[in-house]
Amino acid sequence: MLSKQQKILLTKALQLGALLVLAFLFALPLVWMVVTSLKPLDETMTSPPKWIPDKIQVSNYSDAVTYGSKELGYIPFLRYAQNSVLLAILCITGSVISNSLVGYAFGCLEWKGKRWLFALTLATMMVPGPILIVPLYKLFRDFGWIGTFRPLWVPTFFGSAFNIFLLRQFFMAIPKELSEAAVLDGASPFGVFLKVIIPLAKPALTVVAVFTFLWSWNDFLGPLLYLTDQRNFTVSLGLQAFQNQHTGTPWNLLMAASLMVIAPVIVVYFVAQKAFVQGISTTGLK
Amino acid sequence: MRSNRQNVIGLLFASPWILGMGIFLFYPVISSLYFSFTSYSILKPPVWIGLSNYQELMHDEIFLKALSNTLIICAASVPLTTALAICLALLLNTKRKGISLYRTLFYIPSLVPTVALAVLWLWIFNGQYGLLNEGLSKFGIKAVPWLTDPSWAKATLIMISMWGCGNAMVIYLAGLQDVPQSLYEAGELDGASAWQKTKSITLPMISPVIQFNVIMGIIGSLQTFALPFVMFPGGQPARSTYVVAMYLYDNAFLYQRMGYASAMGWVLFLATMILSLVSLRLGDRHVHYGGGA
Amino acid sequence: MNNVLPAVLCVLLGIACACGLESSQVSVSKTDRIEVQYWEKWTGEEMEAMKRIVDKFNASQSEIHVKYLSVSGIADKTLLATSGGTPPDIAGLWGDQVVQFVDLNALTDLSDLAKDAGVVEENYIPAYWSICSAYGRLYALPTSPGSGALYVNRQLVPPQYASPETFPKTISEFNKFAEQTDRRDPSGKLLVASFMPRDGWGLWNMPYVFGDGFLQDGQINVNGKDDLEAWTWVKSFTDRYGVTETKSFRSGFGNYSSPQNPFLSGKLATYADGPWFSNYIRMFKPSMDWFAVPFPYPDNHPELAGFSTMNLNTLVIPKGAKHAREAFRFLAFVQEQKNMEQLCMDQQCNSPLSNSSQKFLTSHPNKAIALFDKLAKSSRAVPPVPLGIRAQIGSEVGNAVDQMELGELTPQAALDQAQSRLVAMWAKYQQQVLGK
Repeated sequence: MLSKQQKILLTKALQLGALLVLAFLFALPLVWMVVTSLKPLDETMTSPPKWIPDKIQVSNYSDAVTYGSKELGYIPFLRYAQNSVLLAILCITGSVISNSLVGYAFGCLEWKGKRWLFALTLATMMVPGPILIVPLYKLFRDFGWIGTFRPLWVPTFFGSAFNIFLLRQFFMAIPKELSEAAVLDGASPFGVFLKVIIPLAKPALTVVAVFTFLWSWNDFLGPLLYLTDQRNFTVSLGLQAFQNQHTGTPWNLLMAASLMVIAPVIVVYFVAQKAFVQGISTTGLK
Repeated sequence: MRSNRQNVIGLLFASPWILGMGIFLFYPVISSLYFSFTSYSILKPPVWIGLSNYQELMHDEIFLKALSNTLIICAASVPLTTALAICLALLLNTKRKGISLYRTLFYIPSLVPTVALAVLWLWIFNGQYGLLNEGLSKFGIKAVPWLTDPSWAKATLIMISMWGCGNAMVIYLAGLQDVPQSLYEAGELDGASAWQKTKSITLPMISPVIQFNVIMGIIGSLQTFALPFVMFPGGQPARSTYVVAMYLYDNAFLYQRMGYASAMGWVLFLATMILSLVSLRLGDRHVHYGGGA
Repeated sequence: MNNVLPAVLCVLLGIACACGLESSQVSVSKTDRIEVQYWEKWTGEEMEAMKRIVDKFNASQSEIHVKYLSVSGIADKTLLATSGGTPPDIAGLWGDQVVQFVDLNALTDLSDLAKDAGVVEENYIPAYWSICSAYGRLYALPTSPGSGALYVNRQLVPPQYASPETFPKTISEFNKFAEQTDRRDPSGKLLVASFMPRDGWGLWNMPYVFGDGFLQDGQINVNGKDDLEAWTWVKSFTDRYGVTETKSFRSGFGNYSSPQNPFLSGKLATYADGPWFSNYIRMFKPSMDWFAVPFPYPDNHPELAGFSTMNLNTLVIPKGAKHAREAFRFLAFVQEQKNMEQLCMDQQCNSPLSNSSQKFLTSHPNKAIALFDKLAKSSRAVPPVPLGIRAQIGSEVGNAVDQMELGELTPQAALDQAQSRLVAMWAKYQQQVLGK
C-alpha cells in the first residue's frame, strides 16, 4: 500500500505527465506556424518536415506587413488592424452590456413568457447561417448599411443567443440567497444586478468578452459580404491577400501575417484567463 | 403568482434581445422558411411549390449520404470533445507553475482561423511522411491512409475537431470557479478520494455548464462546414466527408437552388432540435442548478 | 460604486470607437470623375498585375476612375450584391460561371457595346470567345486564360522518351511508357508513378480525350462509350498500382502550391497543368529539368489529337450596374493587345487573343508558352460545359470515378448512376431556373 504522501505525489506526477503530452500536441500548430514564418519560401512545407530552418528569415514579418502596399499606396495591414481594433472594442462593449442584462433576465428573474422566449432563443442558434445570408443582406441594404461597418457591430448591442445562453447557465448557478439578501437590504432589481450578480459573474463575463473579441477579430464572412472598399477591410479579410490563383502561396508570409493577426488574441486571452479562475473563491463570499 | 411588476422588470432586462430578434432575426428566419417552400434562385423571385423541396430531399441520395455523414461525425465528436475538454479543464484548474501558459497553449488551436490550420492538418495526416504516421511507425503500426480512405477520412475529421475543444474548456474552467471550496473541504473530511470528489462534487456542480457545452457541441458539429470544405473539397473520397452544410452551400450558391438549400437548412434545424431535446431530457435528471430555479 | 465607473468608461469607449469607425469609414471618394467599381478575385501579385492596367487606364483619360477591390468568393458576393440591387460595375467572374449567371439574368448583354468598340470575335481564340458567350450573345470579355498540357520531368523518364519529339503520342505508346517509368522498391512500394490520371489540372475532362465527353448533341451524356473508355483507362492505373498502394501513395501528395506537390517532389514523372505551373517549378524546384507535350490521343484516332482543357478569367458587367457604358470602356481597354499581353504575362498565362506578338511568345516566363498557345487554338480544346449545371456534372462524375476506383461500383454502374442523377438535375434546373 502506498502512503497518503506517495499517493498524492503519484497523482501529481501523472497529472503533470498528461499535461505535458497534451501540451505538446496542442502546441504543434503554433510551433509549426512560427517555424514556417521564419523560413525562406523554398524551405516551407518540405518533406520530411523540417523543424529547424537552415536560414532564419526575420524579414518575412516586415514583408508581410508591407505586402501589397506598393500598388495600394498605403500599408494595408496597419489600416486593417486599426479597423479591426475599433470594431472589436465596439463589439465587446455591446456584447458584454446587452448579454449580461438579458442573461440576468433569463437566469435570475421570474417573468411571464420567459421559458417560451428562452426556447425560441435556443432555436435561433439551430438555424444554419447560410440560409439567412440572402434575406439578411437585403435587410442591411434596406437600412442602407452595405459598404459600412454597421452590419458588423450594431447587432452585438442587442445580444446574441450563444452568450445569453452561456450567461444564463452561470447566473443560475449563483445561490438565490445572495440576491434575496440584497433585496431585503432594499436593493432594486438593477441594484441586485449591478452589486451582486455582476461581481460574482466576472469569470463568465470575461469569457463572453474574450469570445466576442475572438469572434469579431476572426469574422471573415461578415466583412467579406458587407464591406466594399479595400481601406475598410479587417485583418481576417486581409489574410486572403496571400492566397493567389496562378502565382502560388507565399506560405512564409502567410504564416507571419497569421501569427501577427492571432498574437493580440493570444495576449488578450493570456491576460484574461487569470480572471476566469478568480471567481467566487476570491471575492470572499463563500 | 408573479406580479405585473416582476413581468415588466423581466421584459425590460430582456428587451435588448427581444428587439434584436425582432430586427435582425425575425425577417431572415421567416423568409428562409418561406423560401423552403419555393423554387428560388436568388436573382429570380421565388415561386411557391409547396412541399416539393421536402419531398425531393427525402429521396435525394446525396442529401441522405451527407446527413448520415453529419450524424456520424456529431455522434463521435460531441462525446469525445466533451470528455477531453472536461479533463483539460480539471487538469488546468490546479495551482501549478506556469499554469497560465498551459491554459493559453490549449486554447491556441481554437484561435487560429480554420483556413490557416487546414494546411497543417493535411501535413500532419499526410499518409507517407505525415507526423502522425511517422509517430505510429515507431510503435510498429503500418501507415494509415488518413486522407484517402473513406472511413479514415471521417475519423480524421473527428480527431481534428478535438483540437478545437478550447472554447468548451474555457467555459468549463470558468464553471469550475463556481464550485464552493467548502464542499471539497467537507469531502476531504469524509476521506473521499480525488476521483470520488470529482464524480460526486465537481461534475454535478458544473452540470449546467456541461449541458450548455453539449448543446453547443451538437449545434456546432451538425453545422460543421469550414474544416471539411477546406480539407476535403467536394467531400472526397467518394463523398465520405460531404456534410449537410457543404451540400447546403453548394445548392444555395453554386447550383442556384436557394429554395432547396433552405429546405435542407430547416431539416437540419429539426435534426438539431430533436438531438438537443433528447440530450436535455437525458441531462435534466443530472443537472443541478445552484440557484434552484 | 466600483462597478459603475468601469461601466461608464466602457460605454464612453464604445461611443468613441463608434465615432472613430464612422469617421474612418471610406464610402465615396471625392473626385469629379465617374467612379467605376471593379471587383476582382485576385490578390497579391495577380492583383498588382491588374492594378497596373487599372492605373494605366485611369491615367489615360480624365472622365472615368476605376476603383479596384480584391474580393475572395467573387461569385457569391457579386450574386448577393446583384440581388440586393447594389452590384459593382465590373466583376471578375470565372469563365465557367458565365452561362449560369446569364441563366439567372444577372449579366449585361455586351454584344452591341463590343461591336461599337471594335471588339470582334475574329480577334480571339474561338474556345475563349465561346466561354464569353451564351445563346449567341456576348456577356463577358476575357482576361487571363489557361490551357492544359502535360509537364514531363526529364530526369524521371527513360532516355528514349526524354524529349518532346520522342515522347509518346498515342495512348498505347503512353501505356508502354508508363510501365517503363513506374518505379517500385523491392517490397513493391511505389516510388515514382509515371502518371496519376486524377492528379493534375484539367483531367476531369478525360472523356474528351476519347471522344464527345460530357455532352452528345447538346444533351448530357456522361455514360457513353467514350466516357466508359476514358474512365476505364483511368482506372487501369489504379488497378496496376493496386487500390491500397494507390491510396497510400496519393495520401503522400502535399499541397499543390508547395515543394510537396507530387510532381515537384519527384513522385510523379508527368503532370497535367496550365502555363502558370512553370512559375511553381521556378519557385519550389528551380533545379528541375522539364519539358511540356500535348496529351496523348487514342490509337488510330489522330483527329482526336490536341486535347486541352480551357479555362478563362472574365470581366462582366452585372445587371443593374450604375455605369455600364463607362465600365465597358475599361473592358475594351483591357482587350488592347499590349495591355492584354502585359496582364497575361504578369499572371504567367497564355493570351486569349488569336494573334500573339513575337515579344509575348519569346519573353514569356514559361518557355513552353508556344505549345500552350497552340493547344488553346486546337480543335480539341475543351471549354467548360456550357450548361448551368456544370458544377453538378463535375461533382457527380468525380464521385462516380471515386466509387469505381474504390471498387464500390463497376465503371458502368457508377456512370449510369451519375447519368440518371444528372438528367434529373438538369430537368429540375430547366424547370426552376430557366422556367421551362
